[in-house]
Amino acid sequence: MDEPQTHHPSIDLKGRRILAVDDDRINLRIIGGILRHEGYEIAEAGSGEQALETYASFQPNLVLLDVMMPGIDGFTTCRTLKKAYGDKCAPVIFVTAKSEADDVVMGFDAGGVDYLTKPFRPKEVVARIRTHLSNQQLVEQQKHLVDQLSMANAAKDRFLGMCAHDLRNPLSSIRGLAELLDENAIGELTPEQKEIIQTIHGASQSMLQLVNELLDVATIEAGHLKLDKNPTSVVEIVERSVHLSNIEAAKKNTRIEMRKPSGDPIIDVDRNKIRQVVDNLISNAVKYSPKGSLITVTIHTDETVAIFSVSDDGPGIPDGERHKLFKDYGRLSTTPTGGEKSTGLGLAICRKIVEAHNGTISVENLPGHGAQFSVSLPLYNK
Amino acid sequence: MNFSGSILLVDDEAHIRKFISLLLRHLGTTRIFEAPNGREAIEVFKKERPDLVMLDVNMPVMDGIETLRALKEIDPDCVVVMLTSLANRQTIDEAAALGANNYIRKDAPPEDIGRALAETIEACFEPQESDGDPAPS
Repeated sequence: MDEPQTHHPSIDLKGRRILAVDDDRINLRIIGGILRHEGYEIAEAGSGEQALETYASFQPNLVLLDVMMPGIDGFTTCRTLKKAYGDKCAPVIFVTAKSEADDVVMGFDAGGVDYLTKPFRPKEVVARIRTHLSNQQLVEQQKHLVDQLSMANAAKDRFLGMCAHDLRNPLSSIRGLAELLDENAIGELTPEQKEIIQTIHGASQSMLQLVNELLDVATIEAGHLKLDKNPTSVVEIVERSVHLSNIEAAKKNTRIEMRKPSGDPIIDVDRNKIRQVVDNLISNAVKYSPKGSLITVTIHTDETVAIFSVSDDGPGIPDGERHKLFKDYGRLSTTPTGGEKSTGLGLAICRKIVEAHNGTISVENLPGHGAQFSVSLPLYNK
Repeated sequence: MNFSGSILLVDDEAHIRKFISLLLRHLGTTRIFEAPNGREAIEVFKKERPDLVMLDVNMPVMDGIETLRALKEIDPDCVVVMLTSLANRQTIDEAAALGANNYIRKDAPPEDIGRALAETIEACFEPQESDGDPAPS
């Protein structure tokens, strides 16, 4: 079994259909013999006109086309096929008695992929045909694969969206009920009951956040991110986030300070979405800074953009992990300092929201320690 | 929340009704009616004439928008708060056009739901008080 077939064992071309077109019956018989021996299925046509007819019914994977024929010649036949079938047209190999350069070039112009010269050398015929059929098959497989992958990806996003959507309500009920019980809504709890109910609350809270983030990703990936833009004060958005985050931060003895700009820069944004970005950056800063840290939030403008930055007191972004930071599920080796949870989706969502607003998000490590995340958004033009 | 009027709570999901009704009781409301869909809600509304309706949007049998339309036909002045999960702008606008007084996201934390409800009650019931017509208390 030292046959040359072992060079291309992965692609099985048996049964592929070849249309051979030649006005010379002897030639057709020779080429037909060679190709049938290779396991191909052959249809024959004695003229260009007949070739066009046979092409339609036979639907070949490749066409061997004689150039010099009475009636319409090979080049015209090829052009007609290309015109009729476009991108889906089978590759055409010209068969010519003379191997003159002009002839060959005209063949390529007409849409041929290759040429064979008469008299045939069987090995050459077989090798060239195999090459073109393999190429064609690979291209088809690739197209098919891309189609399948994009369908699978769309199905994944739909599934994710549906799942997240259906999990939200029950989860928010569990969280809400736990919170109410914790607030003694149906009476005083024992310390042990309280601890249990707080565990349920914490677990449902982080699950709800995960579900919300998955839903955000699914919405954005499906291209359904709709922005409800309005001119908005950056200071107002950031102030609100700082205020709310300070309540959470106080549990870790962490303080968030805000440095306001002299003016009141206005940006044209979807308020809730940008709020989500600011909340996320600040809560990350709290999450990854040691207890008792100081987090600084600054706002400034630079020509046509408003920039807000969040500087933390954490370990900074480890070298070599920066590329993961704004990607889906891109969790780093650093861990939250107060047992908080991370889904690895927050910053990816931030980036997508910021980019949808024609803005940029970036990070740099501060000298010494800590990281600074900056978001820059175009200023509103009245 | 200074409100002791009656509230009709309409949602097809029992856990949501459980959660919201416990929250309402926690906030001091004692007269709470419940219905699992629009059709039953209308029956209860006609019989009990609640001061406020909290109405889910996505429900089988008769959805929230259809129910809202029917309620406003029975009583154009009834106070309705839509309960939404994913705030869909179009649905909110549609409900507002039909006369809904507010909307509340039921996936929000209890304190946010309580705050939104208190705002609605303040906006819908206090003007009567200033006219010398006391709010239900």
